[in-house]
Amino acid sequence: MNDRERRDFEAGLSAEVDAWLRGEPTRRDFIKRFGQAAGMLAISGTALSPFVTSALAQAQMQLEDPSTPLGKAQAAALAASVEGPKDGSAFRAVEAAKQYAGVNLNMTYEAGLQALDPRNFSGPLWEQLTGIKSTVVELPGPDMYSKPIAEHIAGSGAYDVLDLQPQWTPALADGGVIQPLDDLIAKYMNVADLEDYHPLYKALPTYKGKIWGFFDDGDMFALYYRKDIFEDPKLNEAYQAKFGKKLEVPKTWEDYAQVAQFITDQMAPNVYGAGHFRKAGSPGNQFDFMQQFRANGGTFFDADMKSQLATDAGVKTLNNMKAANAASIPGNEEMDAVSLWVAWLQGKVAMIYSWPPTGRMSAGYSQSDKAISFIPQSSIAGKVGYAIVPGGHPEHAFGFNKSLAADSANPEAAYLFMQWACSPPVSLARCMLPYALRDPYRISHFKSELYGQLFPSAPEYLANLNNSANVGLLDPIMPGAQDYQLSLDRMCTSVWAGTDPMEALKTAAAEWDATTENLGVDSQKAFYAEFLKLPGATVDNTVEALGMAVKL
Amino acid sequence: MAHAAAIGDNRSGMPQRRLPSAKKSDRQFKWLLVTPAVLLILAISIYPLVFSIWVLFVNYDFQIPGHAFVGLKNFQQVVTDPVFRYSLWVTVALTVANVAIEFLLGLGIAMLLAKSFRGRGLIISIIIVPLFISPVIVGQAWALLLQRPFGPTNYLLSQLLGHEVTIGWLTEFPFNFIALVVADVWQWTPFMFVILLAGLTAIPPHVYEAAELDGVGGWQVFRHITVPHIAPMMMLAITFRLLDAIRMFDTIFIMTGGGPGTQTYTTSFYLYTIGFAQFHLSRATAGAWIFLVLTLLVIVFLVRRLLKPEAK
Repeated sequence: MNDRERRDFEAGLSAEVDAWLRGEPTRRDFIKRFGQAAGMLAISGTALSPFVTSALAQAQMQLEDPSTPLGKAQAAALAASVEGPKDGSAFRAVEAAKQYAGVNLNMTYEAGLQALDPRNFSGPLWEQLTGIKSTVVELPGPDMYSKPIAEHIAGSGAYDVLDLQPQWTPALADGGVIQPLDDLIAKYMNVADLEDYHPLYKALPTYKGKIWGFFDDGDMFALYYRKDIFEDPKLNEAYQAKFGKKLEVPKTWEDYAQVAQFITDQMAPNVYGAGHFRKAGSPGNQFDFMQQFRANGGTFFDADMKSQLATDAGVKTLNNMKAANAASIPGNEEMDAVSLWVAWLQGKVAMIYSWPPTGRMSAGYSQSDKAISFIPQSSIAGKVGYAIVPGGHPEHAFGFNKSLAADSANPEAAYLFMQWACSPPVSLARCMLPYALRDPYRISHFKSELYGQLFPSAPEYLANLNNSANVGLLDPIMPGAQDYQLSLDRMCTSVWAGTDPMEALKTAAAEWDATTENLGVDSQKAFYAEFLKLPGATVDNTVEALGMAVKL
Repeated sequence: MAHAAAIGDNRSGMPQRRLPSAKKSDRQFKWLLVTPAVLLILAISIYPLVFSIWVLFVNYDFQIPGHAFVGLKNFQQVVTDPVFRYSLWVTVALTVANVAIEFLLGLGIAMLLAKSFRGRGLIISIIIVPLFISPVIVGQAWALLLQRPFGPTNYLLSQLLGHEVTIGWLTEFPFNFIALVVADVWQWTPFMFVILLAGLTAIPPHVYEAAELDGVGGWQVFRHITVPHIAPMMMLAITFRLLDAIRMFDTIFIMTGGGPGTQTYTTSFYLYTIGFAQFHLSRATAGAWIFLVLTLLVIVFLVRRLLKPEAK
């Protein structure tokens, strides 16, 4: 029975059932039809299940109005995929992938907004271009690490494309969970596209001289501040009178706490000087500590891999953070990233530092999509300025690589999707999606005129993200990163609850040393040495310090 | 059909002789019937248990390749971890506080609602609603109520007390513990209530009538009639609740995240953290076995107490 016959049959069945309900036909008629329907359901179940699975896995593709900047970016991505340039990575990926039409790729994504990109845009578009289907597997943050390992141990081949934090690369590469891409890159990619990565991000998937993925999410912290408050003449006058200097966007962490306290003193309870996401388990503590600690001259380990947390730099950092807490909105220590965004968008705080979606939400761009309606509309659009965080060295907080699962049954098809999705035109369109949380990471993203048209201050926003990446710092990329970071979070929250900073630092240092011992001092030393080679590992070898800064 | 034949009609009451081959076939058929269930139990229960025993003595860590034999190192790492030892005390403190308050409140409400009156059914229905809510949702709801700056609790308290209240319900000791107990009590008091109410309504009314005729006071009635009658139900309610409360995880995860520091780490939360946030699975398994043994001691004690009246 073909589709047409089935539709006709179902229509007939409905009429029959309706008639039966009206008492018109015989019981025998109905039983006959019912038997036919049950039989068809049993047969169609098998035939339809792949279709149903696919339909459930993928929503309809959402394309924007071609007259909008996002619509134009999507059209450009489509053109690059089907028309070329012929040597472009997107075009070559699509052409090569057509031979795999009909296969299905299982792709892990962080649960929630991140997964909307492959569900609503890149997945359906890829299928339209190549015939390759995709199933998005949404995973909570920690599971994005543990599930691929568990599936690898089981040898299930459950995943093809993995979204992974760069800090996990060494462990997963050594564990055989992911496979290097060098041969596939040589075969399929226009390697000039690798040069389009901002230098901070370019090396992130590289480990032991091989490339283990494509970097795909520029999670750079930046400072967002209320221009209207900093430009207020009365506040400026009062600040000048009190401190003998101009009220400016703070450049140091001491200034930051002072300015925040001043604004709180002047404007609370309407507006507070700052806000942070300091809730236990919220990653704000670890990221903030790591960026300030290193900006204050701290180093994580000495030559023997002994923790260097319990030092003057550590004490100074925690005291600065405590001073900032005291100057912040009440409940500062109980907020996560989302509740901080809510306070910020409602105009309750004058400064926050967070991930790049902050800028898009502040301008009200993200909220244009209903998927992100849980975030309030911005009451501060047009009033927000962008700066590098105080201390001059912002944290690149997490980020994502797209990696190829070693057990993938369709490694080339999976690789080609990765190459296509991360190619300059396609990745630009993905980063511009209002609902997705992919943030700019390519030089062409930062220079994009289309992205610059998304909202009035988008060019400054992009420039600030680029400049932040020039001086940005990386999370430690080595085994045990979760342990080290968990210790930092516990340390910070215990200090917020009243523990003496040095005592908390010593506890965290002891935990770090125990972690290092457990994982093996020598092997950790080797991993740390590898990490230190990366641009952005310390304040002394940022992209800018290495002479590789990107000027827009 | 062989089975049906074997158990065939024997209306005469005379013993029937069965062929040895039929007996054998009968036995085989029985085994065949139970095989799926046995395989299922082996697959989902016994195999993981045996596997976990192997994991106890090897390195099974997502960050360290291979599974080298490590002897008792996993146990040693857990036992020497001050966070684990502290988490045991938190578990004991929260369990005792939760169960004690839930028991007293549940008993009080059950006594109030033991007698029939108009609207009693509606009140009981409302009281037991929290039982049907997932603990994760309960934790989220209480977090929304308590969490600053958006939760209304401090505002309401400020209005009531006439001065500004700025309590960090989820981050300040002892308020964070109070918040956890309140959330747990809100959800699980109805459990105690339902069981104790069943016990109370099963007490024969004539016993109370006789006491009333004899002029026995209220406290004496409670002590010498009510409590002895519902003592087994009390024991049952406390046992069930204790075994559940000892695993407290959901509200901790949602409301405090174990913080500040490790202040509100229960043992379940500790095991989750090292197992699924840090991926030290062999250590988490060792910790889980230690916790299981400690819990077993409590279980054995409680079950013996529970079965004592039956033995008499």
